[in-house]
Amino acid sequence: MDAADRCEQIISLLTLSSCLPVSPSLLQPTPVILLKEGTDTSQGIPQLISNINACQVISEAVRTTLGPRGMDKLMVDSRGKATISNDGATILKLLDVVHPAAKTLVDIARSQDAEVGDGTTSVTLLAAEFLKQLKPYVEEGLHPQTIIRAFRTATNLAVSKIKEIAVSVKKDDKQEQRELLEKCAATALNSKLIAGQKDFFSKMVVDAVMSLDELMSLKMIGIKKVQGGALEESQLVSGVAFKKTFSYAGFEMQPKRYENPKIALLNVELELKAEKDNAEVRVKSVEACGGSIQTSVGAMTNDVLGQCELFEEVQVGGERYNFFKGCPKAKTCTIILRGGAEQFTEETERSLHDAIMIVRRAIKNDSVVAGGGAIEMELSKYLRDYSRTIPGKQQLLIGAYAKALEIIPRQLCDNAGFDATNILNKLRAKHAQGGMWYGVDINNEDIADNFVACVWEPSIVRINALTAASEAACLILSVDETIKNPRSSVDGPPGGAGRGRGRGRPHAH
Amino acid sequence: MALHVPKAPGFAQMLKDGAKHFSGLEEAVFRNIRACKELSQTTRTAYGPNGMNKMVINHLEKLFVTNDAATILRELEVQHPAAKMIVMASHMQEQEVGDGTNFVLVFAGALLELAEELLRMGLSVSEVIEGYEKACKKTLEILSDCVCSSAKNLHDINEAKSLIRTAVMSKQYGNEDFLANLIAEACVSIFPESGNFNVDNVRVCKILGCGVTASSMLHGMVFKKEAEGDITSVKDAKIAVFSCPFDCMVTETKGTVLINNAQELMDFSKGEEDLMEANVKAIKEAGATVVVTGGKVADMALHYANKYKLMVVRLNSKWDLRRLCKTVGAVALPKMTAPTPDEMGRCDGVYLTEVGDTQVVVFKHDKEDGAISTVVIRGSTDNLMDDIERAVDDGVNTFKVLVRDNRLVPGGGATEIELAKQITSYGESCPGLEQYAIKKFAEAFEALPRALAENSGVKGSELISKLYSGHHEGNKNMGFDIESDGPAVKDMLEAGILDPYLVKYWGIKLATNSAITVLRVDQIIMAKAAGGPKAPKQRGHWDKDGWDEEPDNFETHH
Repeated sequence: MDAADRCEQIISLLTLSSCLPVSPSLLQPTPVILLKEGTDTSQGIPQLISNINACQVISEAVRTTLGPRGMDKLMVDSRGKATISNDGATILKLLDVVHPAAKTLVDIARSQDAEVGDGTTSVTLLAAEFLKQLKPYVEEGLHPQTIIRAFRTATNLAVSKIKEIAVSVKKDDKQEQRELLEKCAATALNSKLIAGQKDFFSKMVVDAVMSLDELMSLKMIGIKKVQGGALEESQLVSGVAFKKTFSYAGFEMQPKRYENPKIALLNVELELKAEKDNAEVRVKSVEACGGSIQTSVGAMTNDVLGQCELFEEVQVGGERYNFFKGCPKAKTCTIILRGGAEQFTEETERSLHDAIMIVRRAIKNDSVVAGGGAIEMELSKYLRDYSRTIPGKQQLLIGAYAKALEIIPRQLCDNAGFDATNILNKLRAKHAQGGMWYGVDINNEDIADNFVACVWEPSIVRINALTAASEAACLILSVDETIKNPRSSVDGPPGGAGRGRGRGRPHAH
Repeated sequence: MALHVPKAPGFAQMLKDGAKHFSGLEEAVFRNIRACKELSQTTRTAYGPNGMNKMVINHLEKLFVTNDAATILRELEVQHPAAKMIVMASHMQEQEVGDGTNFVLVFAGALLELAEELLRMGLSVSEVIEGYEKACKKTLEILSDCVCSSAKNLHDINEAKSLIRTAVMSKQYGNEDFLANLIAEACVSIFPESGNFNVDNVRVCKILGCGVTASSMLHGMVFKKEAEGDITSVKDAKIAVFSCPFDCMVTETKGTVLINNAQELMDFSKGEEDLMEANVKAIKEAGATVVVTGGKVADMALHYANKYKLMVVRLNSKWDLRRLCKTVGAVALPKMTAPTPDEMGRCDGVYLTEVGDTQVVVFKHDKEDGAISTVVIRGSTDNLMDDIERAVDDGVNTFKVLVRDNRLVPGGGATEIELAKQITSYGESCPGLEQYAIKKFAEAFEALPRALAENSGVKGSELISKLYSGHHEGNKNMGFDIESDGPAVKDMLEAGILDPYLVKYWGIKLATNSAITVLRVDQIIMAKAAGGPKAPKQRGHWDKDGWDEEPDNFETHH
């Protein structure tokens, strides 16, 4: 009887479960499924801290590249292409960051690259340092919005302070302006691979930019890379130079050098009527020389023909190059880079790009500040003094902002192997005594008046860096929840592993 | 030993295998309420100026950083059918007034939360619903008494600015003055005397770089394009707009041309060139200085355009072309013919310029007589700019709402507390069981100032008691002072924190409706998702609301 009873029990259980396929939901409360399966959500303070940590990791990657003594990074992408760079934006771009918060740092580096072209490492570093300084306050439970408000105030103060103390150089004096530009370019190049040739290149960059028209379109500066030779063999061509691509039979009979030629720029095949032209070179589209691009050979008049002083074909390294030099209406120029390894010339190109951008900015905004951490120390001092005049939580937060600014000189020292604390102490003392432009002297392991030492940067670079860094820090602080939908892809449901963005899951650091 | 006792077939047995079925108070109603509560919990922390942002990564791995409830919900892809209803309500709000989406969510969430208490107390669902309906009706009547001010002259930038400020404040706290100014300028300049305001006429152009404070506003349009030809700047331009490619006509029919000798071949191509030249010349002689085309620009045509000093701009989007026509007052020509003077638009300046490192073509009016204005947003990250764009949208929508109805109610929780106070006393005058529901309805209003306070790190209950005491003293504009450190209150009318009447009106209405709809459900039957592992497919069941077109389109190809 007992056995029969139990048997019945089992059977009834069985039938129950077989007739109600959803029985678990009836027997025990199921969690309410609000979102799509696989959606990953995380929230609260741990989430915020986790985001901050992630940003720290990113800044670690570029930290050591800052300044003249910064190291370069070698990156190999998925296709096995090696890149050597110490440009923050380039490194971050190649890192392929997926963490949503850390991506913000990549974005601001890009933004800095777009707006001023240089200072990408500093901006990343600043943003990460802001967050680092704020982390204890967040952990203590200070409301992020309070922090954000304080940071916005601090940024506004800092920016107006930069504007106030920046030294503007008169535009009328061509000589003085040129000097300014060269110094700015030299400062930018200082931290690059080609720092040894900075005088040579800063001159070249300024020449290149000065030869442009009002719009200063970057496209009008062509950079050609030819392997082989030494860096110093690089040259600037005021006009157009390009690799000889294609010419017709009989070309070799033609002279290789013309003086004052007239040039027809064609983008049609020069097949039917060939004899009219000086040299049978097929040019795709060249906007220099003042000639307009001709589609038809029919209306060949004098005013559509371009002119230049000299056309020649020259051997550069292993390639033959065509040069059009000294064009009367020339608003364009070409830099021919020489150098050893491919990666080396590529990095040189990136460095020159940065320097060109800096020069362009400096022409548009003619005020400069001293680099080498000087401006950061001055701002730091200014904000610290200011913070002491206000009551409340804002005092601490603006103080934290001031402290975060010191990361730039500190990192400069660290990268150079100096005793950062010692130098910072010296700098603080000097700034307190009114030595406004004192910054790190990288050559002598000391401090120096960087304005006198001609370490100059356009003020707009610093203004943009501060704005971007604090905007990014505020953005990251204002997020308290991350919701990640599974990626809808053809290959089935995603593994819900939300790429290390779990609730307060620690990141490798 | 009845092994096969024939059981009455349960409901579940009548359905296909795998179908889910829930019924009754415990299973259906409470489950639904819990889902909605959970949803409103998520967006509650995003409410108000001190609300926190959410980082949402949608299924296309695009990142959104925002505190705009409509955007969060759109990208969240809410699955629960009951929660979906609240989402719909908030979406309706977005369409109706463009702002206050979070208000709907928080309020509906609070209503349901309190309804659960009532149901557990023993009230029946219908009594709760009846009470809510009564209270809602009464609220909407009272709401018009709460109106404390009205917009007098929306053509005045300063007034418009102060009104838009509240809406922008809740999205971009700290930048509100700056952004409100831009938005107000943009709105007022295109607000015609006739009073017909079109939201689409305020364009937004996002360019990476610099900071938010470098954003600007201009009359006319900005395109992220480059000029095609050599001419990059034209003052006082006459603009010919072509919807066709800037190229010679291609005939529909096929023809065969017999060419006998070289001369004829030359003449043939020459004839084509001459025709093109004549065409371009005719356009130039008609007075045009700028040519805008919706299609490709042929090399040959460009050559002649350069020869005759015509600036050529190419726009790929048909909409952009139409908007441009509207801005400059041109007629888009379908054929490459010389325009008549009426068909040409005019503009004070068309030029190519560089913002950050992006080349943009600007069509600019010096005077404020254009039909379209553009807000150029700068920012250091794409997400930030997207968020500011949403703030601009909200601001523009607020302006639109005010054009429709210029009444204003105090913000910062003042209206809610006033309504709560009055509805409570109304509830007490009701004899039936619905009295409880009406009082709970009033209590639900407290959720909004509470969310404001809690998001700012202030104790909600403390603030609410302060607000109540203020309102009982007869000061019905007392609201939460967000700038102070503690639970302080101040007069919202004096502080200039005002919400449009319509935003609150629709918000209350839609939230109540959706809450009632959720309560009315007593059974949930879910069919088994079809097609095994293809999880995304099942979206088709609940999801056919037609508003998130983008994801749907994405799905179609697998």
